[in-house]
Amino acid sequence: MEIDPVTNGNTDTVMAEPAPAMAPSRPVPSSRSSQLTESIKLEHQLLRVPFEHYKKTIRANHRSLEKEVSSVVSSVGDLADNDWSKDVAVSRLTSLVSRLQGLKRKLEEGSNVENLQAQRCRARIDHLDSADVENITEWNNTKLKRILVDYMLRMSYFETASKLSESSNISDLVDIDIFREAKKVIDALKRREVASALAWCADNKTRLKKSKSKLEFQLRLQEFIELVRADSYKQAILYARKHLTPWGATHMNELQHVLATLAFKSTTECPKYKALFEPQQWDVLVHQFKQEFCKLYGMTMEPLLNIYLQAGLTALKTPYSFEEGCTKEDPLSQESFRKLALPLPYSKQEHSKLVCYISKELMDTENPPQVLPNGYVYSTKALKEMADKNKGEIKCPRTGFVCNHTDLVKAYIS
Amino acid sequence: MELKSIKDAFDRVVNKQKLSYTKTHEIIQMLSQELDKALSILQEAPPPQFDHRSILADVKKTFVENQLEVTEKELNVALTKYPKVLEKQLNSDISKAYRHNVEFDTHVVNQIIANFLYRQGMFDIGDSFLAETGDESECSTRHSFVGMHQIVDAMEKRDLKPALNWAASNSEKLKQARSDLEMKLHSLRFLEIAKESQNSQEAINYARKHIAGYADSSSLYEIQKLFCSLLWSKNIEHSPYSELISPSRWDHAARELTRQYCNLLLGEPSESALSITVTAGTEALPVLLKYMNVTASSKKVDWQSVEQLPVAVELSEEFQFHSVFVCPVSKEQASDENPPMMMSCGHVLCKQTINKMSKNGAKSSFKCPYCPTDVDISRCRQLHF
Repeated sequence: MEIDPVTNGNTDTVMAEPAPAMAPSRPVPSSRSSQLTESIKLEHQLLRVPFEHYKKTIRANHRSLEKEVSSVVSSVGDLADNDWSKDVAVSRLTSLVSRLQGLKRKLEEGSNVENLQAQRCRARIDHLDSADVENITEWNNTKLKRILVDYMLRMSYFETASKLSESSNISDLVDIDIFREAKKVIDALKRREVASALAWCADNKTRLKKSKSKLEFQLRLQEFIELVRADSYKQAILYARKHLTPWGATHMNELQHVLATLAFKSTTECPKYKALFEPQQWDVLVHQFKQEFCKLYGMTMEPLLNIYLQAGLTALKTPYSFEEGCTKEDPLSQESFRKLALPLPYSKQEHSKLVCYISKELMDTENPPQVLPNGYVYSTKALKEMADKNKGEIKCPRTGFVCNHTDLVKAYIS
Repeated sequence: MELKSIKDAFDRVVNKQKLSYTKTHEIIQMLSQELDKALSILQEAPPPQFDHRSILADVKKTFVENQLEVTEKELNVALTKYPKVLEKQLNSDISKAYRHNVEFDTHVVNQIIANFLYRQGMFDIGDSFLAETGDESECSTRHSFVGMHQIVDAMEKRDLKPALNWAASNSEKLKQARSDLEMKLHSLRFLEIAKESQNSQEAINYARKHIAGYADSSSLYEIQKLFCSLLWSKNIEHSPYSELISPSRWDHAARELTRQYCNLLLGEPSESALSITVTAGTEALPVLLKYMNVTASSKKVDWQSVEQLPVAVELSEEFQFHSVFVCPVSKEQASDENPPMMMSCGHVLCKQTINKMSKNGAKSSFKCPYCPTDVDISRCRQLHF
């Protein structure tokens, strides 16, 4: 079959070709393997996150080493530029030499950490590489567990996340250590402390600036509001001068809005300002931090589980799923899954797909549908099995209608 | 999947990182050697000729230029390139196909996860999960899954009693579900007895009592095999029937038991509903993402509020739980108001299409769109799939 899929059915040249009488049956292996390729393309986060971590370590190590080396060099210069007694010169040089020794150790340690992280990146590439049509069931099981660990980490269920990853042997494939970094900040924010969040912002300053993040500004605003809440107005003003004014150029409206809390005070009944003093503001900060954190590491904003569940539920959702006698094999027969699927759209079908009521097997050209005189349809195989058992008699399982095997007619579904 | 370009790009990063390490190491090494040298000259030189300034100025001259710059530049290029390769080769943001206005109820999702963990037999993890979520209400299915895993664990220790008991007390339901679990378990037991006992009599007695009842067309062959295997009972490993004692048959039976247990007792799918849905999601996401990428630039589809997906997602056979009939002419999905109708030639269309073809009954016959038959409308009849 050499029909270019792009021009299929669109141009006269293709139409001139004799059209195949039946839809070409897709060879299972090739469609399965292309499906696998497509599903691997969904794994961006798996490779991206450890790499961002690795990159961050490399950059940080580099910066600090560079700084140290140049400070040693400039100290040498200092020594050269001034008249020192021999003793002083010797003792300074000696201390520089021992500083270099320390630097060597640091380089070694840094490089060990880098290598470990590189190994982790490599393990993930290898894991993607290991997927093939033969082991896909097992691979998908692992994938589900990865997705669950991701969900638990994002929801801060750390203990269970570690347990699940250890017991399933997937520690290299999940990002527990990275989320621990986030946990510190989140815990502090929950205790209403911004210091570690601010330190995190400083740590990732360049990248946050590039993505025009205003997380730091929001943290500062909250600190300001806390000062107002404590009636420390003078301090609040000093704080604002120091930390809020730099944001004036870009966020003047918000700045003005929040600064007016000085006038309203924490006891205000004005809804706009009352809201600023609500304790929920801290939850908002936690949420915003999580968003920035995910963005920085190249993660999706939502837990992977939600994305996969939503897509899966939508693809599975048919009007039949919500009927009384829905087969228990359909996940949407489950109350909890129905609840989740309720607001989602129905799937769309372009081709008929018929499932035999008796055997639950697909009715296709291999096992075509046959019609009883009462209009009920079952698969050829299931009807033959029934006829063999009952001396040629067919009994419709849904209506009780009885007929002979010879009364059946084949239906053609295109 | 061709991961070569990703691997290559990553290799480059690692190489440059190693290079940068070596270079940094070299520089520190050199610097400390130079300083050592300077130090020993200083210490040995007699005070009058002592001129530390010129010596150190030489040292400094060697290092004024930042010699790390070149390697660092190369490393930086590799570091920037790799994420770009990833973005090109993979779907950089799978949440593009996500409807942000739909928020899942966390409580429901957590219950689903707990249920999944229990079903997999990870009771500790499930308990720890519920404790961490702060969800006080215990997962209602835990107890049943404990029962199920006791049976399966016993089977792993080659103890069939609990499994046989369960199957016996659910015999009718199993038959209705067309499951051959009972027969499978009895044949495993039969082979065990044949292996353990001195003569075959005991095994034959067991089979007469428990297996003979299954002798219908589908399992007759299986029973014949079981009996023939008695001829080799002492060394069945080297017989034509060695596959009868392969561990995979035990796994098979255990799997079937799990399926039936979940299905009959708990009304759950034979595979975990969570894993079915996520796997279906894995198949659906590429299609949805492709659709989003194609349409995002041209026309804005209101993805967030559609009633039905704008694109068809063809899931694999195992996800087909319902009969869906799509009229080949109108492309509309059949419904109660618009049921499928079979024409006298056996081809099937939707009622509305047939009405249209017959000009709402004005014509008493029309030509089938798929074959030369002249279709008599009075002979079209509704189908039930």
